[in-house]
Amino acid sequence: MPKFQTQHFGRLDYDPRDVFHFPAGLPGFEHERDFLPVIQNSTKPLVFLQSLSRADVCFVALPAHMIEPGYRLQMTPEELDLLGLPPEYPPAIGPDLLCLALLSFHEGAAPTANLLAPMVIHLRNNKGVQAIQADSGYSHQAPLPEPQPEPQPEPEVQPCS
Amino acid sequence: MLVIRRRAGESIVIGEGIEIQVIEISGTRVKLGIQAPRQVPVVRKEVQLTAEENRTAAQAASPAALTRWAGLFHQQQES
Repeated sequence: MPKFQTQHFGRLDYDPRDVFHFPAGLPGFEHERDFLPVIQNSTKPLVFLQSLSRADVCFVALPAHMIEPGYRLQMTPEELDLLGLPPEYPPAIGPDLLCLALLSFHEGAAPTANLLAPMVIHLRNNKGVQAIQADSGYSHQAPLPEPQPEPQPEPEVQPCS
Repeated sequence: MLVIRRRAGESIVIGEGIEIQVIEISGTRVKLGIQAPRQVPVVRKEVQLTAEENRTAAQAASPAALTRWAGLFHQQQES
């Protein structure tokens, strides 16, 4: 079983079949092609994407629909091709297509999610692409839903007569 | 910001060696042709934003902060 020494997780033993492969790399990380998804009980539902060529490169992600219910994905024929899918394939998030938004953690401010450019992974072959949603109106720094300390009881609403 | 009206086929020139031509206008889209010296990178703005955001995102927060944050997020999802 291959091993990789990481900055955050120490040594990772992994199954090569679990690796997400990004044939085109990522903007800003053109040479990073292989990422291992890491899910830990203590940090669920976060998904870590650990680079397998740089120990210090590790993204933190959440499924896009957890941040924006009803998130709609658009993909170009070129992006679908990188995933080994035909140009007319409907890019619906589901059992075959995983859509993860990368999170950014800022000093003294709430974390944000990149809904402009989600990581889309075809789970039948584990090929991935960072699919930029041009014209979508989604933000590259979308605020995350604020964790609520305690759910407040709903006020009673009188029906209109 | 400098605003210039151009028709299809017309160009603007920026500095030395950069020319942007309006090739075609159809509906809400404009097709541009860009000539620039090899050392001048030309990218779509959203690709540049993504590259910058990826560099920020690659610096993961401390494991303790992530554990705390994930716990709060998890509670919220279940509530």
